Amino acid sequence: MPYALRHGLFAFGVWRRAFDVHAMTLLTRIFWLALRDLTLELRGRTGLLAAVFFLFTMLLILGLALGPNQDELRKAAPGVLWVALAFAGSLLAGRAFGLEVEDNTLDDLLLIPGSREWIYYGKLLFQLLLLLAVGLVLLFLTAGLFYLPLATLPGILVTLVLGSVGYASVSTFYAGMLARLRGREALLPLVLFPVVVPVILASVRATTLLMEGLPLGEVAEWWRLLLVFDVIYLTLCGLLFPYVLEG
Amino acid sequence: MSPLLEAQSLSKRYGRDWVIRDLDFRLEAGEVVALLGPNGVGKTTLLRLLAGLIRASGGQIRRQGKVGLLANPPAFHRHFTGEENLSYALRLEGHTPRASTIAAALKAVGLPAGKPVLGYSSGMKKRLAMARLRLLRPEIWLLDEPEAALDAQGRELLEALILEARTSGGVVLATHDRDWVQRLATRTLELSPIT
Repeated sequence: MPYALRHGLFAFGVWRRAFDVHAMTLLTRIFWLALRDLTLELRGRTGLLAAVFFLFTMLLILGLALGPNQDELRKAAPGVLWVALAFAGSLLAGRAFGLEVEDNTLDDLLLIPGSREWIYYGKLLFQLLLLLAVGLVLLFLTAGLFYLPLATLPGILVTLVLGSVGYASVSTFYAGMLARLRGREALLPLVLFPVVVPVILASVRATTLLMEGLPLGEVAEWWRLLLVFDVIYLTLCGLLFPYVLEG
Repeated sequence: MSPLLEAQSLSKRYGRDWVIRDLDFRLEAGEVVALLGPNGVGKTTLLRLLAGLIRASGGQIRRQGKVGLLANPPAFHRHFTGEENLSYALRLEGHTPRASTIAAALKAVGLPAGKPVLGYSSGMKKRLAMARLRLLRPEIWLLDEPEAALDAQGRELLEALILEARTSGGVVLATHDRDWVQRLATRTLELSPIT
């Protein structure tokens, strides 16, 4: 084998290995950060309990206000599902950095060598898992109280995942940006909702079409739109996050 | 040999008040630099600037190596035990800690196993922070009033840790204890209020 080719292959191998090791380290960090935060949240239970209690109350009030006509309730179900998830999500959003602020541990994360994007993605994974767990509870509550047809469950689950990724990517970003500010709990929904409106609207539309039994091709257009939002939000927020985190 | 830390014309102000102005600072390997000065003079601010936790209003900082900070008071997740805090600190840095290593680190600083940090006293948290620094092995050690809240045995452990740190890097410590500085520091930097 010619020397240049051998040398080139060797260099390629070294670079690939270095990239693999770097990527693996980042993925491992993201995983451990999300796992650590989930463990802390489950031990403290503050955010999850507040969100679930809020959901129960909100669904009960809306159910009593809109009921008892089954058709009316079913028609309102997609809107109720996503508005309730958006509000419960705003309660959970603060938890991603609330855990660090309460224990004053954010500096320890910032001292870890290397770029800081992984902190965003770790917090995002934690936030997403919380949101999906609450979303599942909400889905079954809405099915029970608002006659949301569970035959469309696989499609609604796809919408739930796509909508939650978009919502969590923005909420995690803003939660990090406001982490050191006083009054962050009040500020967070104010800055969050205007940006996530497209995600909520697309999710409501996709859920409505699924409930109406329209072909998946038509629903897929809204899923595609949600996917585009997800990719844009994930990329932009990940890139900007290290700058907003600086003191 | 290039210094571990080098700050040139470093400045920091909060609003209109300058805390640090045009400070030049170097930390070489093997040095223990003590920051001295009255309360509110900017010792903690300088340590946080050197650690890269806050942005300077002016000047440059160059770091050659990993930074470890012992804050005053040190911060830990209170719902975790000492072991869990140490284990996650290592995992987030990309290490795979052994339970025996963590147990030995806790034992070395005289802390009990399996106790949540919620039940720790200030001195115990300081000891846990010392165990964390020893496990993370930074090259640049920044210690903010490390002796505060420590008993006599804790101080001995801290002195041993600082001497150990000198062999692998450099130490900057902010303190009010001048006797202690005379014994440990290789150099002092006296900060005075900016008028």
